[in-house]
Amino acid sequence: MDNVINLKINGKEVTAVKGQTILQVAKENGIDIPNMCYSEKVKVYGACGVCVVEAKGMPKLMRSCATMAAEGMDIETETPRVVQARKVALELMLSDHKGDCRPPCVKACPAGTDCQGYVGLIANGKFDEANKLVKDKFPLPASIGRVCPHPCEQKCRRQAIDDPVQIAFLKRFVGDKALESASSCTPDIAADTGKKVAVIGGGPAGLSAAYHLRRMGHGVTIFDAMPHMGGMLRYGIPEYRLPNTVVDAEVKAIENMGVKLVNNTKINAEKFNELKADYDAVLVAIGAWTSSKMRIPGEDAKGVMGGIDFLRKLALKEESGIGKRVAVVGGGNTAMDACRSAVRAGAEEVYTFYRRTREEMPADKVEVNEAEEEGVIFKFLCNPVEILSKDGVVCGIKAQKMELGEPDASGRRSPVPVEGAFEIVELDTVIMAIGQGTKAEGFEELELTRKGTIVADEKTYMTSVEGVFACGDATNKGADIAIRAIGEAINAAASINEYLGGKKRTFAETSQYDLYSSVEPTFEQIREKHSDKAPVQKIVMSHDNAEERKTNFNEFMHGFTEDEAIREASKCLECGCMDYYECKLINYANRYDCQPGRLAGSIHKAGIEDCNEFIIRDTAKCVLCGLCVRACEEVTGNTALGLVGRGFDTIVAPEMCLALDKSKCTACGLCVSLCPTGALTEKPAMKKAVPLKQTREESVCRFCTNGCKTEVVKHGTALLKVEPAEGVVNLCHNGRFGVCDDDFAYIECGSDYEAAVNAIVEDIKATVNLDLSKPAVAISALHTEAEAKALMAACKKALGDVPVFTLSGGKKLSGKDLELSNEANKQNGKDTVSDIYFGVSADGLAKAGVSSDMNVAKNSTVILAFGEDIDEKTLGISVVKLPNVFEKL
Amino acid sequence: MLRIVVGEGSCGIAAGAAKVYNRLESLINDGVLKDCELSVTGCIGMCYLEPIVDVYTDNERITFVKTDEKFAELLAEKGLGSEEVNAYLIPQADVDRLDKQTRIALRNCGNINPEKIEDYIAAGGYEALKKVLSGMSQDDVINVIKVSGLAGRGGAGFPTWFKWNAAKSSPGEEKYLICNADEGDPGAFMDRAVIESDPHNLIEGMLIGAYAIGAKEAVVYVRAEYPLAIIRLTNAIKQAEAKGYLGENIMGSGFSCKMRIKAGAGAFVCGEETALIESLEGQRGMPRLKPPFPAQSGYWHKPSNINNVETFANVPWIMANGGEAFSSMGTEDSKGTKVFALTGKIKKGGLVEIPMGMTLREVIYDIGNGIKDDKEFKAVQMGGPSGGCIPKDLLDTVIDYKKLGATGAIMGSGGMVVMDETTCMVDMARFFLDFTAKESCGKCVPCRLGTKRMLEILTRIVNGEGKEGDIELLEELCLSIKDGSLCGLGQTAPNPVLTTLKYFRHEYEAHIRDKKCPAKQCKSLISYTIIADKCKGCTLCARNCPVEAISGSVKQPHVIDAEKCIKCGKCKDNCKFNAIEIN
Repeated sequence: MDNVINLKINGKEVTAVKGQTILQVAKENGIDIPNMCYSEKVKVYGACGVCVVEAKGMPKLMRSCATMAAEGMDIETETPRVVQARKVALELMLSDHKGDCRPPCVKACPAGTDCQGYVGLIANGKFDEANKLVKDKFPLPASIGRVCPHPCEQKCRRQAIDDPVQIAFLKRFVGDKALESASSCTPDIAADTGKKVAVIGGGPAGLSAAYHLRRMGHGVTIFDAMPHMGGMLRYGIPEYRLPNTVVDAEVKAIENMGVKLVNNTKINAEKFNELKADYDAVLVAIGAWTSSKMRIPGEDAKGVMGGIDFLRKLALKEESGIGKRVAVVGGGNTAMDACRSAVRAGAEEVYTFYRRTREEMPADKVEVNEAEEEGVIFKFLCNPVEILSKDGVVCGIKAQKMELGEPDASGRRSPVPVEGAFEIVELDTVIMAIGQGTKAEGFEELELTRKGTIVADEKTYMTSVEGVFACGDATNKGADIAIRAIGEAINAAASINEYLGGKKRTFAETSQYDLYSSVEPTFEQIREKHSDKAPVQKIVMSHDNAEERKTNFNEFMHGFTEDEAIREASKCLECGCMDYYECKLINYANRYDCQPGRLAGSIHKAGIEDCNEFIIRDTAKCVLCGLCVRACEEVTGNTALGLVGRGFDTIVAPEMCLALDKSKCTACGLCVSLCPTGALTEKPAMKKAVPLKQTREESVCRFCTNGCKTEVVKHGTALLKVEPAEGVVNLCHNGRFGVCDDDFAYIECGSDYEAAVNAIVEDIKATVNLDLSKPAVAISALHTEAEAKALMAACKKALGDVPVFTLSGGKKLSGKDLELSNEANKQNGKDTVSDIYFGVSADGLAKAGVSSDMNVAKNSTVILAFGEDIDEKTLGISVVKLPNVFEKL
Repeated sequence: MLRIVVGEGSCGIAAGAAKVYNRLESLINDGVLKDCELSVTGCIGMCYLEPIVDVYTDNERITFVKTDEKFAELLAEKGLGSEEVNAYLIPQADVDRLDKQTRIALRNCGNINPEKIEDYIAAGGYEALKKVLSGMSQDDVINVIKVSGLAGRGGAGFPTWFKWNAAKSSPGEEKYLICNADEGDPGAFMDRAVIESDPHNLIEGMLIGAYAIGAKEAVVYVRAEYPLAIIRLTNAIKQAEAKGYLGENIMGSGFSCKMRIKAGAGAFVCGEETALIESLEGQRGMPRLKPPFPAQSGYWHKPSNINNVETFANVPWIMANGGEAFSSMGTEDSKGTKVFALTGKIKKGGLVEIPMGMTLREVIYDIGNGIKDDKEFKAVQMGGPSGGCIPKDLLDTVIDYKKLGATGAIMGSGGMVVMDETTCMVDMARFFLDFTAKESCGKCVPCRLGTKRMLEILTRIVNGEGKEGDIELLEELCLSIKDGSLCGLGQTAPNPVLTTLKYFRHEYEAHIRDKKCPAKQCKSLISYTIIADKCKGCTLCARNCPVEAISGSVKQPHVIDAEKCIKCGKCKDNCKFNAIEIN
């Protein structure tokens, strides 16, 4: 045949039809050529320079979107020259693209937990999904949510308005929820790989690593020296903060995945050798279990103990050995745990010595305040210089009085002694909570640092011994917060997985570039950007007062209620880009290892336009691919968007620089679907916008009789949006934005419409904050006359005498449309050419008395749109948010 | 009977020609100047001699230069031949300079009245069209152009016959001929001079082109910044229509063609042919992807041919004199003549038309008479912002598409900007990048963002904030922009940087590493001081300083306060004793 062309792409013989571009041919053959400004829906534009390819014998790179395939072409799509060209083009785009790909909370979390994601899901009431999202990273949300010093909250921009979102407590909330319903906790586990990994240490690092390794299909056994798993979570944190039952429940869930737990087993050198022989890989996560010493006279006296040693004794229900007068030395969270535990253990006078002031204390402010409420006496600017003893038994502390001097390199004002000023306090017990170290007993074979921690490669986490990995407090820099150990465990597990797969030491950090978060805005800028948000009263988690709680070790923070959690989560300012999971730019930037800072320079004039009911424009993210402008002109004929200005100052703006809602925009959403970045995003189908990983399901729009094929975009069970299916050029406004998740319910109806409608209405009343005082009912044209009558009757009974109309606007389904509808129906997996779903249309509805005039709903507060789900025999509803949308259409 | 002709191109008018004309007119009207006929002509190309007045007696043409109203009065009072009037005579050296040129495209410029078709006809105008329309086929015409070796004078140098033939051969009845008169290079004014001075030559050339490709409609896309050109061309079109050279059934040949003007709105990129077509169609001026080329799908997606003004201006002469006559001039690769706008630090700037094959040295020194103030020649920028610079040791390069291309510069549309030792080459590159970055249409990424980033890097270098690695980054960006840009604007935008890097890399390095500007031009990197030994205390510098940064008593050495000094250079310019130096 004349019009068949033979060519080679990346060495593969392929055929093309005359008139096809190289990009199209490549796509057909499963070869992905990146592009930013191409869409089959509009004419070729050729602006981005990303889709370039090289052809043998051609001196210049060519744009694959615009170059027709020709006989005998020999195309390469990823040569060094091509890659370099793409990289520079992408770096140039990145240099003029501003926004937070990821929010500050996520970036602050050492484990990279998706704070914005789960907070957003909680705000939408999707607790299960939130739990799944947290557990995608680590298995201990209920535990960590209680104890994490939450670096995320320190970076939370909400504090510019009132207080940071209480992210850790929200994590605890979903963790607790999950423990209540054990069924939802088990993640998917990959098929058995036959590989075995020994994890030494059952603390947060060991447990998290075991969890991930098990999910990857490996056989995992955790060995731990203590009687129970949990490590420092259980033995270093007092129960009033983290009850054993919570740790146990989360450990149990890990055990339920098939992880073997072996307690009371300390690994010595001999045992270590056995493990190395018996297992395909070993992970050492033994933590930091020794208390640091101050190296002052008298430290050896009886009655002096380490902070974590004291806490461990309490956890083991051993005699703690403290007296009536107790001093804790140190200003961190362990010191707080120790002094507050001492109060609970019966000490009458409890002091905390700290050489700086309250402001410099590294402990959580809340902890300090609560300790004070519980009667702890703080000795600030007091540095113990000698432990006084009588007959080898502690009798007091001699402390040097300090004052704050000049700020040091870290910016903290360092304490300097006040000459000759000392204070002596009489005491029975001194608890040293000034730091922790590791004693790698039994692991002497491994290379150790000067301070005794295990040396682990920063990327691969492998130790000096092949196949032995290490992470957490026991490695490199030593003790840190639990979530950092967990972060390392996540990466170490990925590294071990690669190792077990036969790749040795190739593991590169899995964390993607979190490109282009701009310079952190000032509080003033944050307030300006969110000027619509008023400060709200902090939601204080219900708790016991100091008098009640100081007498026992019971947990005194009682967790958020669902309502509190939703309200707290709703405070999230949604800093991270909504397009993160779909953004072509970040995807390609990572693919080509772009360095966005390399070509940094000034940024085009930009801002956020949020006047449209359905579409948000964030022009700082616009890379001027022109897809929106072209689609609006070529596909819809609307020309609501255009290019303004020249050169670098060119921007996309609504026609005549009007606001978008004053333009001819019909809010069809095509521009949003085509936008390769987050410059155009849709307002979410859920109440709160959340960037989430997506799945797509084919469906058919049920608003009118055209039966357009759609893709329902979901995260788990949450509906995110509806987009045109592949091959469908565009949807109308109804199909694109007519459904919202909050209000999207499917009720099994069978033939009992009345029961179904009642159930839906009750559901709306119970869960959705909508004004139901003046509802209108829209009935999809996909009903038979009889069904429409039954549905109308049911609606009138449930809602009173409401206006009822059909969304098809009275459009008759005739010849071609009917064919199309049936075709869509068939493609959607329904064999029957159905007049049940498509056949009757407006005619049938008219006979049933359903108005075809949308204006009947003009004065309604809300429109309940009823339709049938194509796939199942269910009655669905989508509450259309604004009646005036229909006026516009 | 004397015929007095005042040179009234835009340049002449700017130099005061209109005043001279008005004075002459009123003297004639008042009867002071008797037996005189007054008229205008276009531009002869000698900008440095404007305003120019030619006086034709019965048997000779006497040229007076740098005239003024006084000249008119002297002419009336003292008469032709008087000592006072002869003081305005053109120096012989300048006449010789004119004789070194070969004028084809400019043959009538400055010689005929551009507002009178009769003058053009008297000079042999519309004879070529007559010849074409009386028996030559389209292919015959194209063949003559092919033999002539005429190449597009807009800059790219593509063979004209090839484009004509492609447009002719493209299927379709409806075809368009377009003249690109969107002359936008800084320092280039060849096309303006042709339209202002000899509009019928353009019309005739276009008509021959239209006939050759089979177009019934021709459009001249003139930038709106050329108001006089638009007025004269509009007038010329009307005259040609009235005479039957334009419109239906031209000269009874059966060939019909109408012509109109479209004024461009000042976007440089509209000089790019596909962006020009977009603009003609009322769209935003942004280039289209090629292919398809305009010859296949151009104006309204019909086969179209676009040439620039100078190209068309050569066509009537070629048709009248034959292709061989044209191709006998020039080099093997480049035939005929080329018009250049000679500007910058040159003594005798202006428009010159020379045969291809002349060396740059001949143009700059023999025709342009060398460098202003006898300073040292440094480089010449060819082809405006799309071109590159050629340094001193390549001055003997002959003017030829290939030879110029080999230096990294281009022939371009004819801009020839001469630079002397006081020109900072980095700043010069920055200037052109500033131009292209501003004139980028914004469509494609390499051009829109690449030129901007290059400009930012160059700006920081001239500001003394350049970093190690900036040169390499510039080079990388240059290649990416050349490779990746959609149209000629972007593809050529890096040329000024590439050529200055090639020939003057040490200047970049001096800015970045030593924080010094070798040409002593970059204000952030220089300071002015007064040499006490040389200063006579004349106070001239202090009096001229706009910011009162200079202090000192009379007859005592003065001092410049570096804090206050804005480095404007006025002190140095005014100092009679060479006492001010730049460090």
